[in-house]
Amino acid sequence: MKRAIVVLVVCVASTAHADRWRRARDRWQGGAWLHYELSGMQRVGDPFECDGPGEDCVAEDLVLAGARLHGFLGANASIAYHIGMDIALGSTVRDAGFAYDLALFPVGILVRAGKTSIVGFGAGIGGMGAVGTIDDALTFPVEMTAEIGIGRRVRVLSRARVTYNALAPTRQSAAPSIAFADELDAMLGLRIGRYYDDYGFPSGNGYFVGVSYRELAGGRMLGLTIGYSIDLAMPRRWVAEREAEYDDRGRRRRRVRMPSTQ
Amino acid sequence: MKGALLVLPLAGCVILPRALEQPPNDQTTVALLTGTLGAPLNDIARHPWFAVRRKGEIGWQVYEVGGGGATESDPFHKHYPYENPILHEVWRGDAAEKAADCLEREAPEWIAKLDYRFYPGPNSNTFGDAMLRTCDLHASLPSTSVGKDWRGLIGGGVTSEGTGLQLETPIVGFKIGLKEGVELHILGLSIGVDLWPPAIILPLGPGRLGFADR
Repeated sequence: MKRAIVVLVVCVASTAHADRWRRARDRWQGGAWLHYELSGMQRVGDPFECDGPGEDCVAEDLVLAGARLHGFLGANASIAYHIGMDIALGSTVRDAGFAYDLALFPVGILVRAGKTSIVGFGAGIGGMGAVGTIDDALTFPVEMTAEIGIGRRVRVLSRARVTYNALAPTRQSAAPSIAFADELDAMLGLRIGRYYDDYGFPSGNGYFVGVSYRELAGGRMLGLTIGYSIDLAMPRRWVAEREAEYDDRGRRRRRVRMPSTQ
Repeated sequence: MKGALLVLPLAGCVILPRALEQPPNDQTTVALLTGTLGAPLNDIARHPWFAVRRKGEIGWQVYEVGGGGATESDPFHKHYPYENPILHEVWRGDAAEKAADCLEREAPEWIAKLDYRFYPGPNSNTFGDAMLRTCDLHASLPSTSVGKDWRGLIGGGVTSEGTGLQLETPIVGFKIGLKEGVELHILGLSIGVDLWPPAIILPLGPGRLGFADR
């Protein structure tokens, strides 16, 4: 008898649990964006200097090419969990030093607005350096990304990242204009492309051009970024419609039949 | 900076692409084509199909994942729902006879066993690359055929072109060869340099910036 009650309780509990998960899964909505980027940056202002006596680690320029892949998922029409990965490889052209800039954002939050606009925050870990010119650092980036859709063809792309560095003494407190982080990286761009709403899923793609700014290893860099961007997501309305199907206790609402007019 | 400015107008440019012309049916013909997926993936993802026409026949038998089986009159120009077709390679005569026999034998079996996953693979591009290697057809799929380098958790071997080697994981992989050049794969996206015909390999548009792959 006891065993039967235990089995019954477990079955009921697991069914309720499964129902809750199924409802949560039904309500999940997500999206993603992918950028291919090519950035060329030039040093502006004072030259970079390393700490060592007579050591010259000036990076006159920095060219990086790579991809940024970010995604979000949530059971809410406006707020979602956000993760991302940035990979870029390149060179300090005049010094011919292999350069890399990698970041993984396992933690983040994202706010959706309108059909396709987003503002996201992410924190993570990465690495950045260039052979012979920029000391290798273990980085802890905190990034804000904002992408705003304007009409059916234009999308403003922007991001600002502050980085806390480890393992590179020359890159501590190395952003001239901010005191609360070691380095700074920002981009503001404009994408010209197309917006799609096929099957109710808002998405878009296009080429973009932007201005890049970086405070790195004690100096300032300014440059141009070009690239290709794509974004796609589940419609926000979909969640609202789903939520209308369930009451506050998570039970499916009964559909009200409209009386026939004939 | 100058290089960055140059790439923008050139993105998607392929010099001397193959004409999408059907060869005469006096010999058996096998053709490898790819087309773009629908928007918004149209610039970053392509899908392959093999078009096979036996000597003297009019229609083309198409082998692909998610379709095929039917006879088509012109899979060079129109193969719904894929757009902007690119002809990558054409085999004729004895080589095509062997390839047609091989595809007829191997493709249905491979597709039947496929545990499809849109990304990172195995998918239709994994099928395309697998058939190239299985049937000893020396050609390469474009870099925007995401999934072509899927080898499971870890795998490798001789490339589909037959003059190089590759080692792959879902996170990172590479391909190096005499004709293939050097190709780095990160999360299924390919970048590199093709040695012959010379081109920069990009995960965008037709997959290369330079001369068409021949």
